Amino acid sequence: MKKKNRRLAVVMVASIVALIVILSVIVAVTGYQQFTHVLERQYNDTAYEVAETALTYLNPDKLEGYLQSGQTDEEYDAILARLDELVVSSNCNFIYVAKIDETDYMTTTYIYDSVNPATGFDRYEFGYVSRDTDPKYVDDLKHILTTGGRAEKYLYSYTESGAHTTAGLAVQDSSGRVVAVIGVEKSMTVLYGARSTYVRWVATIAVTMVVLTLLVYLLWLNRKVIRPIAEITGEARRFANDGENPVTSLKATQNRYEIGVLASSILKMEAEIKRYIDNLTAVTAEKERIGAELDIATHIQSSMLPCIFPAFPDRPEVDIYASMTPAKEVGGDFYDFFMVDDTHLAIVMADVSGKGVPAALFMVIGKTLIKDHTTPGRDLGEVFMEVNKLLCEGNGEELFITAFEGVLDLKTGQFNFVNAGHEMPFIRRKGKYTPEKIRAGFVLAGMETTRYRMGSLQMEPGDAIFQYTDGVTEATNADNELYGMERLEAVLNQNADAAPDALLTAVKADIDAFVGDAPQFDDITMLCLEFKEMMR
Amino acid sequence: MTITKNQNGSQLDMALEGRLDTATAPQLEAELKQSMDGVTELTLDFAGLEYLSSAGLRVLLSAQKVMNQQGSMVIKNVNETIMEIFDVTGFADILTIE
Repeated sequence: MKKKNRRLAVVMVASIVALIVILSVIVAVTGYQQFTHVLERQYNDTAYEVAETALTYLNPDKLEGYLQSGQTDEEYDAILARLDELVVSSNCNFIYVAKIDETDYMTTTYIYDSVNPATGFDRYEFGYVSRDTDPKYVDDLKHILTTGGRAEKYLYSYTESGAHTTAGLAVQDSSGRVVAVIGVEKSMTVLYGARSTYVRWVATIAVTMVVLTLLVYLLWLNRKVIRPIAEITGEARRFANDGENPVTSLKATQNRYEIGVLASSILKMEAEIKRYIDNLTAVTAEKERIGAELDIATHIQSSMLPCIFPAFPDRPEVDIYASMTPAKEVGGDFYDFFMVDDTHLAIVMADVSGKGVPAALFMVIGKTLIKDHTTPGRDLGEVFMEVNKLLCEGNGEELFITAFEGVLDLKTGQFNFVNAGHEMPFIRRKGKYTPEKIRAGFVLAGMETTRYRMGSLQMEPGDAIFQYTDGVTEATNADNELYGMERLEAVLNQNADAAPDALLTAVKADIDAFVGDAPQFDDITMLCLEFKEMMR
Repeated sequence: MTITKNQNGSQLDMALEGRLDTATAPQLEAELKQSMDGVTELTLDFAGLEYLSSAGLRVLLSAQKVMNQQGSMVIKNVNETIMEIFDVTGFADILTIE
């Protein structure tokens, strides 16, 4: 991360350098042009002043006469002498007066021509004709001759002999007619030197500015940007790695720019994350604790159901086997069997509506109440009415129990039963299981006023009873088909001769095969009681 | 499970479709709790109901108890499978089934 910050600094510095250089170049070029323009103008104005002065020396009325006659006079010589003085005193190169041929403006006949000796040139003598006027001067000459004004453009030229500027004016006779032009060429030697001095200055100032600005900028950048960001990224990396000990302060929070906000946000975020992690840890621990307690609850619940088989090894009259497979950790189904007295065996099969802990707690109450109230010789209808009343009290969750209880008299084979909304049992008679259509009362804990009536049937040695909960018949496969009574009856009869434990194992295997991988939502509970012989 | 509600003043019609089991019973319970205030005639249409578990029976029992206090509850279009469940559990005796 530090490396990236440095790169960021490089980009920032480079862009600033580029910006200053571009600005300097623009300033320098603009200044250079302006400087040149002003100086040229200055020189040109001076040239015009010299030209105006020279114009006063002339006697324009005589000029055409000189040319026509080819003769000069004493006045001419005097004027030439004064012009010679002027060209030197004004530091000009040339002052000339010439007649321009107005047919093509290319032919020039010189009348006066004063040359500054410093230039090293010789003067054109009176009457010298030049036919090679530079074409770029033609328009200006035409303008001067036709309007009597100044040249429209500045005449400048930059030759190997140096820069110079030319002033051009019309020479008018006393009637106002233009008879000649006067030209003054002034050297602009100072321009070069001054200009290069100017450029050097601008360059020096620009470089100094760049260096100074950069120094200040880098110091500022380092203090206000690079170091705070390095601090923030360092802290963020540290926290991301160990996720511990969130810092409470960062120097960068004092930063007045967005970095300050960033630093504050990092601090806040670290604290939040820490709090969140702590909270999550606590919640997870709590969840594990609840999970452990649920395990214990499951264990307690399953140990409440009789699970030691053979259950009555000293009773050759009966064989009994039962099993419960809960769908959730703690289920709502339960079974029970116990000796009411020496000659009576009770079996209970029940299903609490709903699942989980509430159902399991209700199941414990139901199981205890049924067992407590099943006393020797008591009518089973009365037992359920009593249990129902007790369950209805304080049943805020509005749970209910479907329950079946039967009591077998081992001496006579009479089987008394009561049914509170539970599935009808299968009875095996003469080696064949059939569902026993028995009257059902309303569920337990549903209505306080429900009445239950005991039923009775006769069992012979060799008969058996199979009771279950709806988790069996309503086991569902992936196609949403229910296992159903027909499949149950079929598998029971395929294993009609099997002992109770073998029978239950076979039924469970058949259900598992039917269900496949489809998830189950209900407990699967089964019980089988085989009446083997009469008690003697 | 899909529940289609149609409330008309103190009259509430609910049509159930799908399975009313442990997973979906809380949904029906919440819907009933939300809309039963002031209802005097509650009609449950079971035409589209395929399956009913004990958790569903519990919700029906609760609803029946509430409606016993404030009006009447009718269940209609009950199919054979579900009628069998009502018969076996004794619910047929306490519910009004048309």
